[in-house]
Amino acid sequence: MARTAEVGGVIRPVDGRLRALATRTRRLSEIARESLRNPTTLIGGVIVVLFLLMALFAPLLIEPNTPNAYQMPRDFSSVNVPPGTDGHVLGTTPTGGDVLYGIVWGARTSLRLSIIVVAITVVIGVAVGSFAGFLGGKWDEVLMRLVDVFLSVPELIFALAIAAVLGPAFGNIILALAVVFWVKYARIIRGQIIHVKQNEYVDAARVMGDKRWRIFLKDVLPNSITPVVVQATVDMGHVVLIGATLSFIGLAEAGLAEWGNLVSEGQSGIIAGRWWVATFAGAMVFLWSLAFNLLGDGLRDVLDPKSERR
Amino acid sequence: MGWVMGGSATRRKSVLARWALVAAALLLAAACDGAATDTEELGGEDAGGDVNNPGVFVHALDGEPTTLDPARAALGEYGEQAIIQVYEFLVDIGPDGPEPIPALASEVPTEENGLVSEDGLTYTFPIREGVTFHDGSELTAEVVKYSWDRAMEMNLPEGQASTLSDTIAETRAVDDFTFEVTLQQPNAAFVSSVVYSTPAAIVSMEAVESNGGVTADEPNEFMDGNMVGTGPHEFISWERNEQLNFEVFDDYWGEPATLDARWQNVPEESAIVLGLRAGDYDAIQFQPTFAPELEDAEGVVLDTGGLLLEPFQLAFNLNIPEGALPSGDTIPTDFFHDRRIRQAFNFAFDYDAFIDGILGGLGEPATYIPPGVLGYDPDAPVYSQDLEQAEQLFRDAGVWDEGFSVSVLVEDNPAFEPIGLILKDSIEALNPEFRINVRTVSESQFDEAHGASPFEYAMWIKNADPFVDPHYYLSTYQHPEGEWGERLGFANGYENPDEIAELIDAGFATTDVAEREAIYQELLPMLYEDPMWIYPAQEVNAQAYREWVDGFVYNPLWKTLRWRFYDKG
Amino acid sequence: MQVREYIARRLLTLPILMLGVSILVFGLSRVGGSPIGIYIEHEMTPAEVAKIEERYGLDESLPQQYIAWLGGVVRGDLGWSGVSAAPVSSIILPKLMATMELAMLAALIAVVLGVSMGTFGGARKNKLGDHLTRVVAISGASIPIFWFGLLLLIVFYLGFGWAPLGRADPSIYARIGHPTGLYTVDSLLNLDFGAFTDALWHLALPAITMGYGSTAIIARMMRSSLVEELGEDYVDAARAKGLPERLVIRRHARRNALMPTMTVIGLSWGFLLQGTVVVELIFNWPGLGRWMTDAVLQGDQATIMSYVLITSIIFLAVNLVVDVAYAYLDRRVVLGD
Repeated sequence: MARTAEVGGVIRPVDGRLRALATRTRRLSEIARESLRNPTTLIGGVIVVLFLLMALFAPLLIEPNTPNAYQMPRDFSSVNVPPGTDGHVLGTTPTGGDVLYGIVWGARTSLRLSIIVVAITVVIGVAVGSFAGFLGGKWDEVLMRLVDVFLSVPELIFALAIAAVLGPAFGNIILALAVVFWVKYARIIRGQIIHVKQNEYVDAARVMGDKRWRIFLKDVLPNSITPVVVQATVDMGHVVLIGATLSFIGLAEAGLAEWGNLVSEGQSGIIAGRWWVATFAGAMVFLWSLAFNLLGDGLRDVLDPKSERR
Repeated sequence: MGWVMGGSATRRKSVLARWALVAAALLLAAACDGAATDTEELGGEDAGGDVNNPGVFVHALDGEPTTLDPARAALGEYGEQAIIQVYEFLVDIGPDGPEPIPALASEVPTEENGLVSEDGLTYTFPIREGVTFHDGSELTAEVVKYSWDRAMEMNLPEGQASTLSDTIAETRAVDDFTFEVTLQQPNAAFVSSVVYSTPAAIVSMEAVESNGGVTADEPNEFMDGNMVGTGPHEFISWERNEQLNFEVFDDYWGEPATLDARWQNVPEESAIVLGLRAGDYDAIQFQPTFAPELEDAEGVVLDTGGLLLEPFQLAFNLNIPEGALPSGDTIPTDFFHDRRIRQAFNFAFDYDAFIDGILGGLGEPATYIPPGVLGYDPDAPVYSQDLEQAEQLFRDAGVWDEGFSVSVLVEDNPAFEPIGLILKDSIEALNPEFRINVRTVSESQFDEAHGASPFEYAMWIKNADPFVDPHYYLSTYQHPEGEWGERLGFANGYENPDEIAELIDAGFATTDVAEREAIYQELLPMLYEDPMWIYPAQEVNAQAYREWVDGFVYNPLWKTLRWRFYDKG
Repeated sequence: MQVREYIARRLLTLPILMLGVSILVFGLSRVGGSPIGIYIEHEMTPAEVAKIEERYGLDESLPQQYIAWLGGVVRGDLGWSGVSAAPVSSIILPKLMATMELAMLAALIAVVLGVSMGTFGGARKNKLGDHLTRVVAISGASIPIFWFGLLLLIVFYLGFGWAPLGRADPSIYARIGHPTGLYTVDSLLNLDFGAFTDALWHLALPAITMGYGSTAIIARMMRSSLVEELGEDYVDAARAKGLPERLVIRRHARRNALMPTMTVIGLSWGFLLQGTVVVELIFNWPGLGRWMTDAVLQGDQATIMSYVLITSIIFLAVNLVVDVAYAYLDRRVVLGD
């Protein structure tokens, strides 16, 4: 489709690998400093850091449930307890799960989900994108049509259809999201390669016998890093948002310490005034997604102000 | 209206405080004012006309039929709940009891009135005269015969035709208004469970014949989406996934209904409960797990008196083919052949967690014959949690030290899933070497797993189908050669399968109530000693409706509300 | 000339894309094995299951099944929907119209909100107002629709009893004809303003829930295009003429900034379509989205396939129209200036 992303980043002649690396590093720190000057990006960054700390140190904050820490600890003798009773700071769910546990370990679940999905999709996207870009011709045509087909189905609906076939399990949500999210990266990388290919100095390099993978490592990858980083940052939030939506609809396994699952468990109780489960858990999804979006948005503004068409 | 005015003072305060935080306090204050006035108006109650949707009884259900054809509707399917409003049977079951009363037959055949032959094989039904169908055609014995033969001839795999064809040898229209049936063998439950069963509904011959007729093995598309019966409500339209509309049938032969009716399909449980509280619906069908949400609701009556005739069941598979289990399951295929293990599971399960925690107290320990059904014995032994016994039994069976890991298949459902989790928590807490994997799947995946051969799971959770006669609970779920007994291989596990089979058969061969009760009294302790299921609980039959509904009656044997009885305002 | 070529190319790739989507959709539905589950019951024996398998042609090979399905789709036969207990084709139209009505109003809300927030922020680049609108807009893209919908439902439906659930008051709905299936349009055609109010009343909450979610993309694009336009020479020229900044923005910059913003409206349409899935579930809206969630939870593949296919076609069509319109307008802009 015509939404070929205008992928930003400026190509500069590279005179030496070291110097290039130094430039990149300097540029990244410049970018970071510049982005954080924007208060909204700063707020996003701070929330992200807090979430990461919460996720990483979850076992220290709350003792993990055995045998599976990602399962809510259930105490059926104290179901639907309001916040602040019996040591349940944020109350309990209709199955007697401690909401605080769900919030803290849910952060870990979300981190696990987003890192796995983003890592997988970046790798697949980069691989497919470089194949298409370097091989060109028929391969490019076929792969890009495939990408177009994937982009023809709205993300959530695509993921929903996949997860529906696979059945309710968290692993299936990860799989579904991975299948859906790689396409953007493929586009970014391919666009970058086409860009580099058209650039004169690469022709010069090719004349001198440079191999494709060297062009890839030297010119394509460094230039693609910025848009990929922006996209990955936004996706860190987006993956959790869509993942939570899927588990809200009922596609995660029972009793999982996951935010969407908690909202789903808590929604019936809202009517009777048991607001705590759905409110806290939903707010977590919101904050997580908001933080990464703010951060990504800020980075995007600084990195390539013109590439807002995603 | 809604929760702002319902609930205890403290609860209201905490909710208000919360929303104040989200900056809605001002708006809410206005709402409270409005709510207060509303309450006063309700208190007056002299206006009489102050009901929503006047003239229509709005019944919200969390699903809708997959078919309206009595010959195709499966047992427990939503379609049955629409069929019962529009179609009628030769007999009916009144609001008060389990005994069949006359409906399209003007008399219920018994041995006393001579309408059942002495050998118990021939039943004669005098057909009511002057009954017209909604399409204007007339009811005769021929139509009755046609209706029954039709279901048996179509013999659709999803329908219940076998209920008829397994019992009946021959149907005859003796004259215009006399219908006769010969059975294959005497059947104590013929009238209550066969004559009053979905495929035995009387349909308009004219309607069927002018819309595709009867073809063996093939559904009739017209009948799937339409109903032409003789009942007090006439079927008007079906807006798929939204609503079904019904109107009062003016030429009804009996006491006519007062309200038109609407079946509102609301798949989201919490939306159903919300809608009742807001007065959009007159009555709702809902999971009892939602009952606490309705306890203090203004203008709502919550009736949790009866028990649902569909006890929850956790099945043991004693018929596991080699290599069929999911990877990760470590149990041998004959694991559940050992009755000590089945007993141990029964002792380990935390029944209180389910009844008090999940069902919010709206449930009771279940037995092999539910209360309200003939043969129910309040003194029959019932399992309760006893961890020491469970441990001892697991040790005796020799599985304590090396442990086991087993998967349980659960349908995604707010009641079934927690049963799986409780089983998991109960068993795993006993011994760290024990592992239960709860595999939640969608309903269709669950059904598919059941239709598949081999049967790939060692355990699964569901609820029993509701029956009118105790025999069907026993033959379906306990008999070693019964429907599930055969598939789950009960003969491999029962200490004495023949004795159990004989007792179940004997309870069916006689029509004498006292004799049947005596037989079941002997049987129940045997089933307790040799359990083929865990019965987590039997849930309360919770009914919720608006206060403005008059004449609310309910019989669990109906399996749904009967709109014909209700009025409003 | 170029534009015409571009349009032709786009139109030619469309069938290829649709074929691709159809393969994807069919493949997906069979990844988990046979879609027979929805048609059978828990008590059925393997023999009965086999009978059903034969009835729905599920005993044939996969390529045969695909061809049969695709042939059906082309003829307008999308299979038997298990959750609706009827052929898909016989029930889909009212659902489609219900969803379209909701999505169109939501799109309207998103565009109005997005453009005004973008303009507001762009005109105050990096000032407090800009930061605030940015947070508000991005919140829309970050807020879980299921949660936001629940909050609105609690406050406005439960709290005030204002906004009702569902699509219409059934008795009002029944009193007018429905030639278009768009309830608001139908009520106006019938000159029934009571019905029109009822329709809007029911539309309000779900449309706001969905529209807010799509605001961010539009606001972000609007803001950056406006910032860009404000740096252009013609804007400086206008300023030099002594025109107040407010008028500079309203008369010149905003109009030109709207042009690139148009392209993302197509994108936000995808966002809207997926939003219907959750919104319709929560607000009990009788459209395609709720149909889809029913189907997902029950594993009804015929319905899921039809839904994904139809949604993709709508998505592709809207994007095509937007892109073509943009290409056309863009040329005119270039030519006109």
